[in-house]
Amino acid sequence: MSQRGVTLACRRSICGVDGAVADGNNRPVQKVKAFLATPAGRFLLRYVIILVVGFAVLAAEPVNEHVVKKYTTFVAHEARIVLNAFGEGATVVGQTLRSPRFAVVIYNGCNGLEAMLIFVCGVLAFPAPWRRKLLGIALGFLAIQAVNIVRVVSLFYVGVLKPEWFSTAHVFVWQSAIILFAVLLWVLWVQRYAMARDA
Amino acid sequence: MRWRATPDLRRFLRRLPLALLAAVVLWALAKPAYGHVLAAVSQALARATENPRAAVVKVDGNYAMIGRTDFRAGSGWLKTSLIQIHYNLIPFLALVLALPGSLAGQGWRRLVLALAVMVLAHVLGLLWQIKCFFAFDMGPWSEANYSAFARNVYGSLRYFWDLPVTFTLPLLLWLGFFADRAMPLVGLDGTTTPRRR
Repeated sequence: MSQRGVTLACRRSICGVDGAVADGNNRPVQKVKAFLATPAGRFLLRYVIILVVGFAVLAAEPVNEHVVKKYTTFVAHEARIVLNAFGEGATVVGQTLRSPRFAVVIYNGCNGLEAMLIFVCGVLAFPAPWRRKLLGIALGFLAIQAVNIVRVVSLFYVGVLKPEWFSTAHVFVWQSAIILFAVLLWVLWVQRYAMARDA
Repeated sequence: MRWRATPDLRRFLRRLPLALLAAVVLWALAKPAYGHVLAAVSQALARATENPRAAVVKVDGNYAMIGRTDFRAGSGWLKTSLIQIHYNLIPFLALVLALPGSLAGQGWRRLVLALAVMVLAHVLGLLWQIKCFFAFDMGPWSEANYSAFARNVYGSLRYFWDLPVTFTLPLLLWLGFFADRAMPLVGLDGTTTPRRR
């Protein structure tokens, strides 16, 4: 079957029969209700619910202490290994990555977990077989990890070479980029794995 | 069979770099005035929820300076980044502009509505910063004026706005307001009109 044929077949199987809602629903509340009755609306609702639960779990004190902080330290060590490959002589203390030339503290929001949640919630909420979801989560984790290491290392060098650009690069360049990356990764996962037919 | 993205996705990906550039330019142009709007509205909301009405939010470049008029000058000011609050306009605008035909027909109206939601989220984001500063960082004054319950509520709100809301709003608004264009990229139907079977 051609690619287009595969795509259309999958769209039919995902959309089912209930994308139709009667005309004449012009009030905003009715429009929202009608949208939530569509496959897209149901996906969005599931996405928001999983997202809220996911972030609530991450915000819980024990999870923050025993998982998030340790994970952030792990990210700092990954960045340290890369920086030391460039001869920086970097060390990690807690969540602080420092070298003789510069130091960065990796906070929540800079450890890649948020991008991971954007992606993972999208994968979990999407109607696809569990095997493909698990594969997507594993591959997405690796991809987001890799991009986040590039982000931390590049920000370190921005801090070394152009410290006055650090804030700009940190917030609007890299945070925007990481959001877009997570969204694109999810769309690509859907098209590559979730919408593909079993062989 | 070698995998290839659908034509829709390929078109979207081709448009994305230029859309991102346009989003950055629009954001950079709007940023100075937008910072003042956020500060003014957040200050009004903060004052509406306190007595005496003394919250002050001033704009200093890309930062908001948060303080109180009933404190002596030079004490109790918080400098917080406004960019950190509203940078998510960039990925949102980039995603919208990269969708072919996203602004056709009712597209502009939907963009305005989505931006209104975003502005509301930014105002609330700054408001929670103000409230958290007053509730946590002003020593005995904070303890005298904010209960433990209020501190928990404002702390939780700030956490949810700083991370989940800021990070996920671009995707949610893109999928929600432009469902008819964005959802087909992932094979979902977001139209609410009857479909021909």
